[in-house]
Amino acid sequence: MKEIYIGVDVGSVSTNVVAIDRNVNVLFKTYIRTNGQPIDSVKEGVKQLKEALGDVEVLGVGATGSGRQLAGAILGADVVKNEITAHATATIHFVPDVRTIFEIGGQDSKIIIIKDQMVVDFAMNTVCAAGTGSFLDHQAERLKIPIEQFGDLALSATRPVRIAGRCTVFAESDMIAKQQFGFSKAEIIRGLCDALVRNYLNNVGRGKNLEPPFVFQGGVAANKGIRAAFERELQSKIIVPEHFNVMGAIGSAILAKDYIEKTKTRTNFRGFDATDIDFSTSSFECKGCSNRCEVVKVSMEGKVIAMWGDRCGKWTNSL
Amino acid sequence: MKVSFPYMGSAIVYKKLFEFLEHEVVMPPKPTQRTMDLGVKYSPEFACIPLKMVMGTYLEAIEKGAKVLVTSGGHGPCRAGFYGDTHRNILKSLGYDDVELIIFDAPQDNWRAFFRNVQKIRNGVPWHKVINRMYTLYRFVQKLDELEKMVQKIRPYEVNKGQTTQVWNQIHEKFDKVKTRKQLYEVYEECKQMLLSIPTRKVDEKDRIRVGIVGEIYVVMESSINFGIEEILGNLGVEVERSLYLFEWINDNLVPWILRPKRFKEIIKKGQRYIKILIGGHAVETVGHIIDFKERGFDGIVHLMPFACLPELVTQSLIPKISKEIDIPILSLPIDEQTGKANMLTRIEAFIDLLKNRKRGKTREIFIDNIQEDVQEERVVMV
Repeated sequence: MKEIYIGVDVGSVSTNVVAIDRNVNVLFKTYIRTNGQPIDSVKEGVKQLKEALGDVEVLGVGATGSGRQLAGAILGADVVKNEITAHATATIHFVPDVRTIFEIGGQDSKIIIIKDQMVVDFAMNTVCAAGTGSFLDHQAERLKIPIEQFGDLALSATRPVRIAGRCTVFAESDMIAKQQFGFSKAEIIRGLCDALVRNYLNNVGRGKNLEPPFVFQGGVAANKGIRAAFERELQSKIIVPEHFNVMGAIGSAILAKDYIEKTKTRTNFRGFDATDIDFSTSSFECKGCSNRCEVVKVSMEGKVIAMWGDRCGKWTNSL
Repeated sequence: MKVSFPYMGSAIVYKKLFEFLEHEVVMPPKPTQRTMDLGVKYSPEFACIPLKMVMGTYLEAIEKGAKVLVTSGGHGPCRAGFYGDTHRNILKSLGYDDVELIIFDAPQDNWRAFFRNVQKIRNGVPWHKVINRMYTLYRFVQKLDELEKMVQKIRPYEVNKGQTTQVWNQIHEKFDKVKTRKQLYEVYEECKQMLLSIPTRKVDEKDRIRVGIVGEIYVVMESSINFGIEEILGNLGVEVERSLYLFEWINDNLVPWILRPKRFKEIIKKGQRYIKILIGGHAVETVGHIIDFKERGFDGIVHLMPFACLPELVTQSLIPKISKEIDIPILSLPIDEQTGKANMLTRIEAFIDLLKNRKRGKTREIFIDNIQEDVQEERVVMV
């Protein structure tokens, strides 16, 4: 019987589920589009894991990403951690001497600065999603290019085209203007990759000293055009790890493994049957005081199993 | 006169002030989403969030029957200086001609105007009574702040999550009933015992994380606009201290310069290492407090700024330099009318992880003592 640790990363665009063994070998990974259905996508991911690995013993479960509370409640996670810590944990494991991590996902882009295998600084986009996966998706859609071919097309361009990177709305109108000048799709896409990388380094990396080795991960790291733009901009090689699009999930699995090994506790994992159970979430505004907290309620077959979001603990502790 | 005021931090203090001056007080409600909606609707779009929130509070106070609104002005080149006049114009344009707005600017800017305002709110109460009651209020604020500092040091270690906050709310109710100095000291002792009797976990000195909260006064003091950041940090097992407490603010702003405590002058001096001229708002104090927190052994700083706040933008641009030179991690959070907490929580949680790692020298270390905060970030109880 294989012993595994499961890591789940529920983001805005994708839900990733991985299984690792004691030595952090990745035994299984899956990348599923969340499509606004985090519960279903978590179930789907765990189902696929079960089918791929057959009989396994789950020793621990970690959850991360913006949907970490929800995923944690459904699966019975042992560790629920933010994605910055999770990503850094995985990268440090695979690239021990890493100094700078670029992580670009569906709606978030982050820069994590590492020194001596320790997170010393990080930044995350605040009000602007320029350069994230969602924007690239949208542009690929508009130009009728499958997103998978986006990168290769960018690499085929011979001339650079200057596209405004400050804001995606401006970038888009710039792209249209350049089309009307007669530039090819490939050139415009290359220009867009350059603009997005420029904006990302200026906006998210403001005032930070970026030192190599650079590691680039997250869903957007699949895009060769963006990779090439990074290398041009930084004048340096960029490492894209083998499991670049599921690093958050791997990190949370590692954290779960550390925790279980250290505390020698048994996992809270609900078991693979959880994928057949009916979960539902709802939220309500608590009127107990003027805080008016938005309380999230997760029910399993009609019974409330987790609540969060209340500042006073009234609901959280009521279970 | 039905008097009301902006709601910021422990608002019972302002309520007491007007009660002592024998006014009929209209207690403004603690800001909620509705307050923000009202404020945003009637304020200029480019204004900073404190102006909008205070506007909303005024409108809610007027709904409850307030006829006089009392507030403090701003000085220096920041927009806070025009708050009063902007609010006045908005109220006028909405047809509230019968509502009076009394703005207290710094006494040294215009002594005559200051005393005119004092006479207005003195309400004919004899001077000897005023002085006596103001002294009681001074002590009232001092005692309340002392208890609040205790709350911030107990919350991270409480055994029953949420208990400290409950006790803190009860303390507010008890203080609300205080009328005399004798009562005040009795209530203070009682409340102190209440806090001391909260069961806490023992945490080793070397594993304690302390964070200083600095920034613009309204977003630092008012929990409804800053996501209740003190509670969020407390629930993550972090001790917090703000750069601003009412008692210190009174000492720093209402006590004549000569008599001001030395500490305030020192903070300003520290801040002037980086900001040499007066740029309004709290920029110099913010920088001074960052340095002060570092010298007092704090592990990190959370810097709160209203989105597009001029003085705090200057501070924010200095932060990478300060952080590097004095070696302390600083997290800057711009605050506006967003309601989504996820992004903010991720940042705060990652920041706390970073501080813990700095202390322990490892990223992957799971700590047995702090296991609760180490593995579960937001409080979720699972069955």
